[in-house]
Amino acid sequence: MHAEDMAEDFPVISIDSNALDAARMLAEHRLPGIVVTDSSGSPYAVLPASQVVRFIVPTYVQDDPSLAGVINESWADRAAEKLGNKKVHDVLPEHLIDVPAANADDTIIEVAALMARFRSPLIAVMKDGKLHGVITASRLLDAALRN
Amino acid sequence: MATIAITVFVIAYILIASDRINKTLVALCGGAIVLALGIIGADDAFFSHETGIDWNVIFLLFGMMIIVGVLRQTGVFEYIAIWSAKRANGSPLRIMILLVLVTAFASALLDNVTTVLLIAPVTLLVCERLAINPVPFLIAEVLASNIGGASTLVGDPPNIIIASRAGLTFNDFLVHMTPIVLIVMAAFIALVPLIFRGSFDVDPARVADVMMLNEREAIQDPRLLVKCGLVLIAVFAAFIGHSVLHIEPSVVALLGAGILILISRLEQRDYLASVEWETLLFFAGLFVMVGSLVKTGVVEELARSATEFTDGNGLLTTMLILGVSAPVSGVIDNIPYTATMTPIVSELSASISDLAYPDVLWWALALGADFGGNLTAVGASANVVMLGIARRADNPISFWEFTRKGLLITVVSIALSALYLWLRYFVFG
Repeated sequence: MHAEDMAEDFPVISIDSNALDAARMLAEHRLPGIVVTDSSGSPYAVLPASQVVRFIVPTYVQDDPSLAGVINESWADRAAEKLGNKKVHDVLPEHLIDVPAANADDTIIEVAALMARFRSPLIAVMKDGKLHGVITASRLLDAALRN
Repeated sequence: MATIAITVFVIAYILIASDRINKTLVALCGGAIVLALGIIGADDAFFSHETGIDWNVIFLLFGMMIIVGVLRQTGVFEYIAIWSAKRANGSPLRIMILLVLVTAFASALLDNVTTVLLIAPVTLLVCERLAINPVPFLIAEVLASNIGGASTLVGDPPNIIIASRAGLTFNDFLVHMTPIVLIVMAAFIALVPLIFRGSFDVDPARVADVMMLNEREAIQDPRLLVKCGLVLIAVFAAFIGHSVLHIEPSVVALLGAGILILISRLEQRDYLASVEWETLLFFAGLFVMVGSLVKTGVVEELARSATEFTDGNGLLTTMLILGVSAPVSGVIDNIPYTATMTPIVSELSASISDLAYPDVLWWALALGADFGGNLTAVGASANVVMLGIARRADNPISFWEFTRKGLLITVVSIALSALYLWLRYFVFG
């Protein structure tokens, strides 16, 4: 089975979109992650849900996690408010930009290797220079076990 | 050989100052070239106190980096900083002054970069709660860090180099450097309302937000805090008791780090996280390059020229070292500058006969190199780190915004230092 056979339609979000929309999309659809596309529609980054959680963590808490407990409950509950005026590219961690897309003719092993190497819960699949779909970890395992 | 050594050194210095190529790579390449060309041999580079790698400096830095790495896990500085901010009752001016004092004190015990990394997140948190611009606070803290770091042997890397090369003790720094640092800090705090005027307006409704911060939550592991506190007290007691114990600061730091590793039971990645291997290698390469200048007689010649220029006048030589060190350290990293100057100052101390206190030249070098770091945004590593933190927090500090404030503080601190050196070592000495 090739990557293009495993690929599914999956919501994507543009790098220029509002960060709050990206977080909302993940929360509402309970997605394992999301593919971020650049202005031409090509995959720019794969964003696991665990990393989207970082969006609502202030940079100073990311720098010094011991400050997380210092913030009181009512203020912590409003953490997502700050996302309203930010775009996805403002909050995208640099190390996530390098996750490559799979080619349409890649095998299960090739896609699995890519997923494991970059610890990514989903991989974009490119065909003829365009985004063909996305393979999630559960979809990959399903395909592997079915064979 | 001397010409080649000078050429390698000058090219390396320009590359380090330009900041276009990794400075560790440059220092190691420079060291490799003088070794490969036989200008300096293995014995000179690895086993000579005059021309080789100063292992006291390397291992003191290494030991302190591990101690700091463990100390950072405790959250004690976050606790102190938030506690201080709350004691200011929400007044931004008082908060700035208290955070500046905490930063200066912490910088005296730890290296300046670590202090900045600890204090900046707390500052951003407090300023966000007050809905005020954190930039003036961050600038004030990094200026205080460079001032406070000058007060002790372990506070700033130039002091570590000077102490090792000149044979100065921790107590020497306390006796000779701490008084002028306290004077400069007092002047700095007096200038804070003027330099940062217009930065202290706050909505009174936001003050309650600061008072609701719970500093106790910053302490993640109280038992680790107690262990760290005991080891840190023992380490500084051993620094101070050098004249009785006769244990070098580098050995004290290594023993402290070793004990802390054993009793903290932290994972290797945690206690080694703060070790800056690149910095240690940078020092090693630098020492080899400077050693080649000493071996080939370049340093001796430079010292002779300086003595001729000042006509052997102790006061003029002291002021020359102070006056040159500050602007040079403000433009390029003060670590390579100090490493280069130490053998020259050593020669000058021995050759100038009218000095009642020969160590005054070392204090001039330390004050110039440490306070000079405040001159520009790239004058010290702590400045560069603080600019990076501010940029990531969407509160960028421009080069000129920093330099306008830094220039004023450097001029004031160097003027006060000149007065201090003149009065203490020439008028009343």
